[in-house]
Formats: sequence, C-alpha cells, structure tokens
Amino acid sequence: MDLLEFAKGPALQFAAFVLVAGTIWRIVGILMLNTKPDYSEPRKKAGYLAALKVIYTRAFTAPPFKKATMYPKMMAYVMHIGFFMTIFLFVPHIVFFEGWSGLDWPGLPNNVIYFVGVATVISAIALLVRRLTSPVLKLISNFDDYFSWFVTILPVVTGLLIPTRMLFSYQDLLAIHILSVALLLVWLPFGKLGHTFLVFITRGTTGMVFERRGART
Amino acid sequence: MSESHSDNGLESPFHGNVRPILNEVLHAVDRLLDSGETTTIDLAGLPFGPGELEHLESLLGTGEVTATLDALGESRIRETIYPGVWWLEHRNAHDEVVGRYIEIARTPGILSSQDADIIAGRARLGEQFA
Amino acid sequence: MNDLREEDSMKNRPTVGEILQAKGVSRRGFLKYCATTASLLALPPAMVPRIARALENARRPSVIWLSFQECTGCTESLTRSAAPTVEALIFDAISLDYHHTLQAAAGEQAEAARHAAMQENDGGYLVLVDGSIPTGNPGFSTIAGISNEQMLMETVAGAAAVVSIGTCASFGGIPGADPNPTGAVSVSDLVKDKPIINVPGCPPIPMVMTAVLTQFLTFGQLPELDKLGRPLAFYGQTIHDRCYRRPFYEQGKFAETFDDKGAKAGWCLYKLGCKGPTTYNACATTKWNAGTSFPIESGHPCLGCSQPQFWDKGGFYEPLSTARFGSKEQLAGAAIAGAALGVAAAVAGRRRQARYTKEA
Repeated sequence: MDLLEFAKGPALQFAAFVLVAGTIWRIVGILMLNTKPDYSEPRKKAGYLAALKVIYTRAFTAPPFKKATMYPKMMAYVMHIGFFMTIFLFVPHIVFFEGWSGLDWPGLPNNVIYFVGVATVISAIALLVRRLTSPVLKLISNFDDYFSWFVTILPVVTGLLIPTRMLFSYQDLLAIHILSVALLLVWLPFGKLGHTFLVFITRGTTGMVFERRGART
Repeated sequence: MSESHSDNGLESPFHGNVRPILNEVLHAVDRLLDSGETTTIDLAGLPFGPGELEHLESLLGTGEVTATLDALGESRIRETIYPGVWWLEHRNAHDEVVGRYIEIARTPGILSSQDADIIAGRARLGEQFA
Repeated sequence: MNDLREEDSMKNRPTVGEILQAKGVSRRGFLKYCATTASLLALPPAMVPRIARALENARRPSVIWLSFQECTGCTESLTRSAAPTVEALIFDAISLDYHHTLQAAAGEQAEAARHAAMQENDGGYLVLVDGSIPTGNPGFSTIAGISNEQMLMETVAGAAAVVSIGTCASFGGIPGADPNPTGAVSVSDLVKDKPIINVPGCPPIPMVMTAVLTQFLTFGQLPELDKLGRPLAFYGQTIHDRCYRRPFYEQGKFAETFDDKGAKAGWCLYKLGCKGPTTYNACATTKWNAGTSFPIESGHPCLGCSQPQFWDKGGFYEPLSTARFGSKEQLAGAAIAGAALGVAAAVAGRRRQARYTKEA
C-alpha cells in the first residue's frame, strides 16, 4: 500500500471515526448538563426563535466595538469564507463529497479557487501575526490556539502546493494534503476548533438567556 | 485521421499549440536573416488536440517548391507560403508517417546531395568509361 | 553500465551503418533514418549528427524475446510500430534470435537457437520479456517443458540487460491482480543482478518500445530511468500534465456522462474516472497509431495502465477523488461510541454541578 492509498483509505477512515465520535461526545456531554437555575423574573418568554436570532446577529459587531475590531473581523471573514469556498467550490472536492453523499453541485474554475486559497492563507497569517504582537492576545493565547490555527491552515497550504508540482510528485503531494485533512478532522471536535459546531449552541444559549432577561439580542 | 469535433462551437481547433509554434518560426526566420542559422522544429511529442496539427499545416500552406524524396520510404518536402519555412514529412516503407518537421533554412539539409553518395556515384560514373 | 558495444562478443557483428550500406541505402537515406530516430528517442534535431556517428558504429545486438503469462498484446503492439517498421527493426537494427510467437523455427530447433544465441553473445545480448511469471506452481505456464521462472533465470544469466515489455512483465499486470491465483510476479521481483528497464503499458505505445531498443542500439547504454525503472524520456510526465483537455479541467468544464454536451465538446473526463493525474506515460504527446489519437482524445478516461496494480486501484469509472473510508456501520458505531462518552461526561459534569450548587 503506498502513501496515497493509505491516506485515502485507513487514514481518512480513522479520521472520520474520530470526527463523528468526538463531535457527538462533546455535543451530548454539553447538552446533557443541567442548566443553571435563573431566579430572576423572565422579562420575555424565550424560545428557540431567540436562539436562532442571536446566531444570526452575532455575525455583526455591536456598534460600540465596531471600529476597534474592524481589522480582525475583516481578516477573519476573508479567512473563513475563503476556507469554505476552497473546500466546497473546488470541483475535485465536490467529486469527493459526491462519492459518499450522492449530492452534486457546480464549482468554480480552478484558478479562482487557487486565488481564494492564497487569500485565505494570507489572512490567516495576518491573524497569527496579530495574535503574536498584540500584548493582550499574546498573554491569553495557549497551545490550543496555535495548534488549531496550524491544523486549519496546513490543508490549504498543502492543497495549494499540488498544482505547483513542487518538492514531491503529484501523488505524494496529494497524499500529504489528504493526511493534513485527516489531522484537521481528528483535532476538530476537541479544543477550540470545536467552535465549528459549538458556536451554534453557545450563541443560541446566549440568545435565550438574554431574551429571558430582556437584554438586547 | 480523427474527425474535427463540430459540436464544440470553436471555429478552428484551439488547444494552445499553434500560436507558440508560429512564434518560434518567426524568431527562427529572424535568425536565418541575421546570421544564416537554420532551425528545425520537431512536431512529434507536442500535445496537439484533435485537428490542431492539420490547422497548423493549412496555416503554413504550400509555396512555390514541392519535392519528393525516395529513401527508406517516401518523404514529402515543400516550402510553405512563407519562403525559408519548409514543411517536411517523412514516411517509412509502409507509408506510415515517422517524422514531421518545420525547417527554417534556405534549403532543407536533406535535399542536399551527400559527399558519400557523390563519391559512390562518381565511381559508378567512372565505370561508364572503363 | 558500460558501453555494450565494447563487449568482445559484439565486435564480430556488422554495424548498422554497414548493414544499411549493404542494402543500398544512400547516405541521405541514412540521415533520414537518423532524423526519425532522434524524433523517436525524444531527442532534439541538433543531436542528429551524434546519432549518425553512433549508428555508424553500432553493432546489431542479439535479442532474445521471452513470452510468459501474457496476452501477446505487447508483441502485437510492437508489430504495429511505424518507426522503424518491425521488419526493419528485426532485420536491420537488431538480431531477433528467439521469439516463440514470431519465429519460424519451433520445438527443439527453437530452443537450440536460443541457447546458441546465449552462448555466442555471452555478456552482450538483450533479453526482452513480456508477460508475468507465475511462482505459485511452475506448471501454470511452461515453454518447451520448462517453467517460465527457470527459463527466465537461465536466459538472463549471460544477458547485458533485461527489458520488461508491458505492465505484466514490469509490475505483474492482469495475472497479478487481486486475488493473483497463479502467484504472478514481475521480472524485477525475480531478477536482482542485471540492469532492468521497465516499459509498462497495457500495451506500451509501440514507438516507446522501439525507442528503448533503438536507444540501446544507438548509444549502447540504457536510458535514464525513474524510481520504477521506466525510461524518463517517455514516463517522466503524467498524462494529466500533458493532456490537451487540461484547460477544461482548470476551467471546471467536465463531462458528466459519456454522451452529454460536455463529452461531445471534448471536456475533461476527470469525473468519469480518468486516472491521468496519477499515470506516467507518453500517451498525451506521442499518442497511438503514429500520432493519431489516444484514449482521452477518443472520449474514454485514462485507465492508468502503465502504473503498478492499476487493476486494483478502484474502478476505472470511479473518479480519483472518490473517498474509500468509513463504512456506514463503522460510522454508526462511532456515533454510538461518541454518545456513550458524552453521556458519561455529562454524568460526571452534573455531579460536579450538583456539588457547586450544594456548596452555594
């Protein structure tokens, strides 16, 4: 079995297993916890609508903080949007998803994806630089922050290497790329990368609590 | 020969090979005029798409001179519509194409008589007087 | 390796130049031969004078062709080679002293010819092999009463080099595909002490086969090889990197079925299972039938036939991106395991919560 077959086979198999098990573990583990009793009078009846509302409104910075956070916010948007565009709008990836889901959708031309990929990497580096140079961020950043950054950006970088045919053969570059994705999937449920699915629970909870208390959502 | 694909909406077959080759020919002609240097472009091994080689051949066309060489099969040599630019097609004894070249020269080298052949021929000619 | 033309056994043989002259081929004809040889070897036209000098001194090597577990497609392909014609190859350029399919002699006469060639040219003959060699039971494939493995080992003992023609001889091929009932192996699995060139393909492009023989003939040496023993001149690039349909791949224009608009317009065949990106061969440039076309140009995705174990790399119509991971049962198991861990974590968490609430 060569490296590519290992990457496409057992490595991804293992990663998929850990991803599913880990994600469900965290979600069940959190949702089954007791809610803290709130002894104040409810100002408004909070329902899931409030949860959904805040999931949406948190995408936009509250006016008092807008100016101060404009730069990292923009960088983060470029990074996230670029990241998801390269994953879901690149045709070889779409073919991969079609293989196990049966769903197909149109993609973008490869050169557009390469450009978006480069933009993703640049914005990610900009955010890392900010994390390292801002005194507050530097103080509160831990291994989780840096490692999560690394495993997220590695697949984008290894993916961009493939069309260059630099350093290794096409097969080996592809294998390294798939292995880096496996690494990302294995780490994703744990640590701060878990925000991928937890962000909806946290924002939703905030929304319900705030709504009940009559705070602005 | 493969049929050209009439459904693809392209007027002439384009897969990116014709223009660079014509550009190479242009530079070779410049060199020929500057210093007399000749150039041979081997058309084998270029990733032509369907119909592209034929398109290149028709763009270069046929000029004033056409020659046939009969050695180890037929070879067809002709000057294109651009003087100094020659199209050579070598075939083997079974009339299969074994080589295609564009040669930029005053005369393609293969048309010149070779010393070894001249010497052998002179010997035969001498025997006429024996 | 040394220039094989220096081998003692070769010095009595006529040179190619002498043979062509004896046949009445003019110097001009010889130069045409050299020009087309340069094309064949993927060498630039500027090399023609050097090739002419080399061929003038090149002596016809003795070639022994051994056919084992094969479909004869490689021999068929070689006999369709245009440059030079196989007759020219056999009679002028090489001395094909043994080929049990093509030769006129049979039975003991044929075996005698093989042994004579081996003895006369000891140290200087080429062995060409097509077909894989069964190791499961010597009786699976025999010629003249001896097993393929025995014939191979005794024939290569005095050879200068071995050329594995086709994917079966190079990597095991069809007989070697899962479950490999005959225990088929490649030449390089058995022969360890001789230079081996692999010329894979199912079959290999005829001109590539001739080129390898011509390279040996002209320069007396083996060509530069990649890490799978294939000549870099013909197996140095993937089909994908030289395919004329590549711009469609980059633009995202793919044929989805064999008769849709995209297929008719000649779009990329990646989604139909093309193995071009992982296949090294000269099909996209040298093409087949004297440069007429190749599978992709004819509308069919590349099978990857010059790669090891290409029969066992997933389906021919399964795109390269297809994932082969996580059976549904396995992922269901993962979900259950996760849920169990989650419940356990929640129980522990609730106990801690209760403790804090009590303390408050």
